[in-house]
Order: sequence, then C-alpha cells, then structure tokens
Amino acid sequence: MTTTRKNTGRQRPSWFTRFWAVVKYEMLWNIRKKKFLGLIIVAFIFATLSWVLPVVLSATTDQAINANPNYAVTFSIPGIGIFLFALITAMNSISSEFESGTIIPLLTKPVSRSMIFLGKLLATLIIILVTYTILFVYVVIGGALVYGPQNNLHLVPLGLFGNVISTFIWIAIIIAAGTVSKSTTLSTLVAFGLFFGLFFAVPIVSVFAGPSPVLNYLPGSGASGTMMTTQGQIGIGAGTDNIGANLINYALYSSANVGFNMTHIELQGDQPLITQVFAYSEPISLITSRAVVTAVVYTIVFLFIAWIAFKWAQILE
Amino acid sequence: MDLAIETSALTKKYGSLTAVNKLDLKVKRNTIHGFLGPNGAGKTTTIKILVGLLRPNEGTVKVLGQELHGGKSAGFLQSFYEQADSRLSIGYMPELPKFPKHLKGSELLDIYGQMYGMTQKQRKEQIPKLIELVGLKGRENDLIGKYSKGMQQRIGIAQTLLNNPKLVILDEPSLGLDPVGMVEVREVVKEIAKEGRTVFVSSHLLFEVEQICTHVTIINRGTALVSDTLQKVSGILTGPAMLHVEVAKISDTIVNAVKKLPCVSSVLQTGNTLRIQMTTHEDTRAQVSQEITRSGGIIVAMSQKTSNLEDVFIQLINKDQGGKPQ
Repeated sequence: MTTTRKNTGRQRPSWFTRFWAVVKYEMLWNIRKKKFLGLIIVAFIFATLSWVLPVVLSATTDQAINANPNYAVTFSIPGIGIFLFALITAMNSISSEFESGTIIPLLTKPVSRSMIFLGKLLATLIIILVTYTILFVYVVIGGALVYGPQNNLHLVPLGLFGNVISTFIWIAIIIAAGTVSKSTTLSTLVAFGLFFGLFFAVPIVSVFAGPSPVLNYLPGSGASGTMMTTQGQIGIGAGTDNIGANLINYALYSSANVGFNMTHIELQGDQPLITQVFAYSEPISLITSRAVVTAVVYTIVFLFIAWIAFKWAQILE
Repeated sequence: MDLAIETSALTKKYGSLTAVNKLDLKVKRNTIHGFLGPNGAGKTTTIKILVGLLRPNEGTVKVLGQELHGGKSAGFLQSFYEQADSRLSIGYMPELPKFPKHLKGSELLDIYGQMYGMTQKQRKEQIPKLIELVGLKGRENDLIGKYSKGMQQRIGIAQTLLNNPKLVILDEPSLGLDPVGMVEVREVVKEIAKEGRTVFVSSHLLFEVEQICTHVTIINRGTALVSDTLQKVSGILTGPAMLHVEVAKISDTIVNAVKKLPCVSSVLQTGNTLRIQMTTHEDTRAQVSQEITRSGGIIVAMSQKTSNLEDVFIQLINKDQGGKPQ
C-alpha cells in the first residue's frame, strides 16, 4: 500500500518494503562473513563428534552403544557456543558500519534509523533461528541413527526457543556496546570480559559463598545444582545460558526441585577438610521462569540503550 | 523563487569550533550549483546536515520544500519518519563513498532500490542502465570488496541516481579518480542535469566547477562569501572583461567602428593589436568580430581576458582571512 507525500509528490513506499530491504542487507552481510561460516562448521563438527565418538568407541571396545531415547531432547548449545553465536552474528552489526563508513550511504536512504535498527535485529534473529534449527534437526537425525528412536521430540522446538532467548541477551549486550562505542574491538572486549568474568566468577562464588540470589539475576551460566528425577540425577545450571535445557527439564519434570550445595572448609589439625553442605533448594519451575524473565529484561534494556544510541548518533567522520 | 535547497542561519558547532556559521544557502531548482571552499570551510558538514547525517545547533533547513530536522513543531518520532521520507527524492554521494564489501555491485543497487520502494520491474530496468552509465558493465557481479577506488566512486554515482532523484548532492565526486575518470564524472554530472534535476556539487577542483556548474557558492569558515551564477561570481572582483584582437590591415575605420559598439568602453591600438576594454564581463567576442569584419578587417587572433573562478576564489578567501595567502 502506498500513500503520496504532500511535498515531494512521490509515492511513499510501504514501510515493509523498506524494512525488508534492510533485513536482506543485514542477512547477506551475516551469511557471507567468513567467521560466521567458520563457527557453523565448528558447531557441526562438535555435534557430529558427539555421536560419532560413541560409534568409534563401540567399534574399538566391542561394547554395544546403549540406547538413549532422550539424547535429542536434552541437547542444548553450551554457554560458550551461545556466546560465540551471539558474538559472531552481532559484533559487526552496527559498530563496523560506523567504522567502515558504510553507515553513511545507508542512513541517507529513505529508511529511518529505527527501521534500520529493527531490520538488523530481525535479520540477526532469522540467522540465529535458521542456524539453530538446522543444528537441532541434525542432532535429532544423528541421535536417532546412533542412540535409537528418540522420545519427546515435540519438545525439541521448546529447547531451541530457549537457546534463542539465551543467545539474545548476549546479542543485546554486544549490540549496545558496539553502538555506544562505535567500535567493534571495544564491544568484543566488553563482551568477552563480561562473559568470561561471569563464567569463572559465578561458579567460584556460588561454591564457596553459597549461591547468592544475586547470581540468579546475572547473565551467564548461573549457580550449579542437581535435580533428582525418576531418570536419575541431572546437573542444572540456573543461569540464563541454560534456558533451553531448563525449559525441557521443566516440561519433563515439572514438580522437581533443584538442590544447591556450597563448599564447607574446616581445619582438622593441619589438614583442611572440604565437604559439600546443602545450601537450599528451588523448584525447577521457579529457576526456569526467573531465568526467562531475567533474559527478557536484559535483552529489552540493552536493546533500548542501543536503539537510543543509534537514533541519536551523529556521523562526524 | 523555486528553491531545491534553502538554509537560514544554519549553524553547527563541534564543541568550541563553529564549523557552519549562520549559513544562508539558496540553491535554485534545475541548476548545477557548485559548493566551493578550502579544506575545513564547512562544505561536508553542511552537506551532512542537508542529508540528515548531522543535526544543526541552530537555523532551518529546507530541502525540496520540506523542512528537515523536524522543524520546531515536529515530535520526536515524527521528525525521523518525515526525514526518511524526504530522502525519497534525494540522491547523495558522500566524499570517498564506502559500501559493504560483501555485496556485489548489482546487489547493492538492488537493495538500495528496494529501500527507495522501487518495484522489481523498475529495478530490473533501471540498474543495468545505471551500470552502463557509470561504466561498470561486466563488473556489476563482482563483490564491491574487489572494486578499485574509482569503481567504488562509480557505483557511488550509480546509487545516487537510482531513485531518479529531483536533487542530486555530490560531495567531491572526482576525489580519488584518475584524469580519465574525472572527465567521465564531469560528463555524467552534465548528463544528470540535462534530465531536469538539480545538482549540488561540492568540489575543491575549481576548473571542474567552472566547467560544469551554472551557479556557485563560495564558503569559508562556515559562512557563504558569495553565491550567484558562475558568470556573475567570475566577474564580481575584477570588473569588465578585456579583449585582445590582432587584426591584419588595421585602419581607423575599424578602430572607430569598434569604439561605437555599446559594449565597448575604450580601445587602445598598439601596432596591429587592439586592446578593447569592455563595459561588461560577458562574452562579447561575436559582436566585436562581426564589427571588425564588417569594417573590412581580417581577424588573426582574438582572446578575452576575464577573471576566472580561481582568481575570484583566491581573492575572496584571502580577503576573508585578512589577506593571508592560502
């Protein structure tokens, strides 16, 4: 649908036509990045190894592979993988447009800055969604071939959705850092610093000082606990990086509780005695919903910061 | 007056530095308007304000009759949406344009065309024409990352013309081009203007502006020093033109006939050469030669000495900077 501009007398093209052009522009940028293609190859290599190695081991040790009907449904991209996918897809999104000067011709086209910002976000979402979908389908097929028929396959999209939410926190942080600093190097350093800072600090703090409630509201892997189920003990990460896995855990064991321990160190003579002491427990429903809300809040806040910075950026160079 | 660009008291400051200082700029429609000034004069800053890349601190900007930067009454969101729409009729090529290296030349034009709301059919018709116009035929399917600086400049011109704009703004279009490329760009600019568009071109190459522009604005330290037709600007400082004519078989009849012409102020004869002081800076060679021939003279050589744009530019800038040479 078009309307006519009162001053220029030109037909105003539809919002969607212009918006989709931005999406296309960003998607082509992303899928042609060598580092993105490299990351996909690495992700598929790891996914392949996870079922090829058991086959190789089975062949060399003459032991049959045990059937694992929950292999596919319990698959989740690890925290570092989520972070790297976010970094590779978002690190160049806005900051490198400023650095390379390509932002100038883009901003002088009849597309508003909000349109460009939203278009870039949608392109990133599509890229992540398509990549994860292919990866999850690959894992389901591989799992079925190696570990036999798979159960609860209808829950796989839920896990995929959770992984996308987890990825988007990091995408929002990286885009915000890149838009404010207009520097890819700086935004990458900020993202790496934050990810690895939390990656190492949170488990250490939660082990020795107890899983503080604050840790549950930070992005990343969060506090580690264990959940007792009819299938046995399952390790749980309470942070935002594990939303995909926890959504599945909640769907499968909705009334289960997760126990968190802390490390107790006591000196007995000259020797320290290290014991694990029960700290507290929380239902999986609370852990999952809290992580989802935390992720959504972080994503909205950082994207809002990025949007404001982008909207008001002046092109001085 | 039908204006394509109109700024009033336009001011842009970077901290304590005033890059554009109460600039009043008027660019008539369907003209090729040169925007001249030394480095740091405020040309690129002005252009960036015109295309919405920078916000002015003070003053108003109207492009194709539409007030930019929201005006005083526009709301937060409205100002940005309206500004995006105002760019539907503007084609802009930045100084040393940079385009995404991962896109092919034709893909870039296709995506930009979509941003202008062109249909697929329109894009399929327009893009090959533009590729041919800027001399990139055969290279349109190469990645822009493989383009030379000159080729990037050419694709820059092509993307400027995609939407068949009413106003084309070119910031230093010849920068980085070899001499052949510069001549080609000049021809393209003339071609663009023939189709009834307004071309606003900033350049530091005075001979280039002299060859292609009908109007000129000279800017220094963010303020317009002069703005008029090229002819008037060229004539403002040194006054009327002087004509040197070498005539075979010179006679008093010829000298008297020339003196009687209304455009002639005085005639000085030195041997076979007449030094004719004109009353105007306009080109009167045709009138003078006709009169000499009619009076029985045979013209061997004729030249008109007028101040050129370079003379005017240097004099104006020196004057503005208190006589200091550039």
